[in-house]
Amino acid sequence: MKQHTMTRRSFLAAAGAFGAATMAVPRFALSQDGSVLTVRSYSDLQVLDPAFRLSLPEDDIIRSIFAPMVIPQAGDTWGWKAIAVDSIDQLDDVTIAFTLKDNIGFTDGYGQMTAEDVKFSIERIADPAMESPYAGDWSALKEVEVKDKLSGLIHLKNKFVPLWSTTLPTPASCILSKRAMEELGDKITTQPVAQSGQYILADWQPKQKTVLRRNPDWAHEPGGFDEIHILPIEDPATAERGFEAGDLDYTWTSVSSLPRLKADPPAGSVVLEKPSLAYVWLGINQDVAPFDNPNIRRAVQHAVDRQGVVDAAYFGAASVGNGIIAPGLPGSRSSVTYDYDPDKARALLEQEGATNLSVTLDILNQSERLTAAQVIQANLADVGISCEIKQNDSGTFWTLGSKDGDYWNKLQLILSRYSMQPDPSWATVWFTPEQVGVWNWERFNNAEYKALHEQGLVESDNAKRDEIYKKMQGLMDESGCYVFLTHEVVGAIHRDTIVPGLKPNGESLFSEFKAA
Amino acid sequence: MLSYSLKRLGLAVAIVSVAMLLLFAMIYLIPGDPAAVALGPRATEAMREALRIKMGLDQPVWIQFWNFFINAWQGDLGNEVLSNRPVAKVVMEQLPSTLALIVGGMAWSIALGIPLGCWTAVKRGGMADRIVGVFSVAVIAVPSFVVAIYALLIFSVSLRWLPAIGAGEPGDIGDQLVHLILPSLAVGLGWVGYIARMVRASMLEVLEAPHIRTARAFGLPDRQITYRYALTIAILPTVTLLGVGIGQMLSSAVFAEIVFARPGVGKLVYDAILTRNYPLVTGAVLVTTVLFILINLIADLVVGYLDPRVRSRL
Repeated sequence: MKQHTMTRRSFLAAAGAFGAATMAVPRFALSQDGSVLTVRSYSDLQVLDPAFRLSLPEDDIIRSIFAPMVIPQAGDTWGWKAIAVDSIDQLDDVTIAFTLKDNIGFTDGYGQMTAEDVKFSIERIADPAMESPYAGDWSALKEVEVKDKLSGLIHLKNKFVPLWSTTLPTPASCILSKRAMEELGDKITTQPVAQSGQYILADWQPKQKTVLRRNPDWAHEPGGFDEIHILPIEDPATAERGFEAGDLDYTWTSVSSLPRLKADPPAGSVVLEKPSLAYVWLGINQDVAPFDNPNIRRAVQHAVDRQGVVDAAYFGAASVGNGIIAPGLPGSRSSVTYDYDPDKARALLEQEGATNLSVTLDILNQSERLTAAQVIQANLADVGISCEIKQNDSGTFWTLGSKDGDYWNKLQLILSRYSMQPDPSWATVWFTPEQVGVWNWERFNNAEYKALHEQGLVESDNAKRDEIYKKMQGLMDESGCYVFLTHEVVGAIHRDTIVPGLKPNGESLFSEFKAA
Repeated sequence: MLSYSLKRLGLAVAIVSVAMLLLFAMIYLIPGDPAAVALGPRATEAMREALRIKMGLDQPVWIQFWNFFINAWQGDLGNEVLSNRPVAKVVMEQLPSTLALIVGGMAWSIALGIPLGCWTAVKRGGMADRIVGVFSVAVIAVPSFVVAIYALLIFSVSLRWLPAIGAGEPGDIGDQLVHLILPSLAVGLGWVGYIARMVRASMLEVLEAPHIRTARAFGLPDRQITYRYALTIAILPTVTLLGVGIGQMLSSAVFAEIVFARPGVGKLVYDAILTRNYPLVTGAVLVTTVLFILINLIADLVVGYLDPRVRSRL
């Protein structure tokens, strides 16, 4: 019998051949023929059900594979664009009429999309029994009435202004096949059924790649690429290096990288800077000593150099924000009611006999937050307050102010960042009294604020809404619980061979990306 | 040999059981509500409570542990919280990528470390020995994530020879190997130094042994003495070290997987901890623990097979 033995010489020869072979394989760019777009998302998909989606990247995929009634309009102004509907009009305060395009089909043999599917999809999200986290998007829904095969009426219980900005242009208007979902009998997770969008989910390699392919049966405006490859890359610096190495066509960047990329963009690329809908603030828990004293809260408001904090944390790329509502939306403010005045802060502390104060500041363990916290720490030290920074991972941080835990009775200062949809009610909702111990960690509790929030939901006059939301932020200033810092900016970079489809705040719309 | 193998196997089972207990305890000591993290800000308290019940978090901790322990020994690691996919399947999807990374790292360290160790032992005290000595200590001292970032900046961003992110197209071995070069170098470079030092020290000891002197007296060629008679003995401590090295590489793999945006168990565990996805954390860590113990068991058995003195010690 012949024996196979590995000698040192044969091992080295094999290893050398292996090395040569691997080096000989040419590198190629996936998008060299312009038919494949490779983009980064910050997380992998987990749930593709419009009623139970978990993250923004999932929103984008869901909108691409399940035709929505409308999507956000790409460009610099907020608006919407029809996808599955031929027409959609508000007949009165509580009635919206729609007519579907005639030839949209579902994959897997589930037939043509009809008004019955629209009724099923919308009422499914609103149904309390479904326990969808997005039921609130359709909280004003009374019912969907089917008029004929392709048209129907959406009846509301009451006027609901955010419907056109933060309900319809989200996956809450994606249309699923009623028959397919009834057969499935459960929510969609990672295996979509009866797809109907401009693209279909062709392949999902967990933690590695999601491939969207042009839907061959889509008879309307086609997607811009044969395939979109979506790579889940959590770390923005990794994505930036991937872009610079030619492995990506588009990615978000970190804010701190923006100045460098703008000053010296990689060859053949375009660097974008977009206004963000996020808001970052220093929160002060008004129910925990020493901040149960309003003058000490005001002292902190005067002690923090907001410009200094923002400049240090964002390398000059972001500007100071003056509230929770982003620029460009009704209620956006150009100033706050407190200024940086360390002398005034010291006087307030002296007046209250507050000497040698030691407080804690909880933050998420991200470099921008840590830098901001360190400047705040130095500002507070300047007026005589000793501040300990406590860094938390995301799993811990997002439960710190929950009334289900113990820590909410110890929480003093918090550096927070929330994001919002393009309607001011999406920012104000988290600070109502019902949210105390849920997401309102400052425990700001103001009945007038709550009443104004409800008023804003039914007010359609933009000037009046502007007034309402400015007044609400004035109440937040007065409480002393908030030091508003910034709305940040969104950075993105793309090849000059593509035209990215982006919302005004820089969030991507994969189905709107085109070749240049 | 059979008695030795059974004793090692029994020890491995005991270690896995203790590891499971420690793992479970550690996870439940971490603050944070998995239901709140998983469902996000828009979920109601009722939804969060339903998820807690689904995850079994409403049960006393000892019942949770007992269920986990019994199910794990039966091969059932439960289902992932949000997508409801079997944890075993989720972990097994990622495991090949991590194993490829470790094997690649080990290949770098063996292919470079053993020849360097032999060479410096033969050239003891010379300039080459001193240079390799400094090089070995330097690569041991540099953290793998630093190697990863510099390798990526030089070979991917600057020279554009190798890809920066991903693991290559499934089914395309050539593409996967190209994607493996830099991450495996980052993981394995530190071990080049360890192995070179270890082989050099062993070789110096063996080269002084009587049977080597006898071989020299018989006039056998140096090359034959070094590689056939000295290295086969000097390599034994390195085989044991490789078992430990694989464990170290598993932890280095996390950084490589993040820096190179590769799929893998390390990144899976990292993401799962951040989202408090308990079933996934326990399942993935358990699989890697078993893998580590298994590799060490194999290393011990190989050494026991090669060296009868080791067998008699246990």
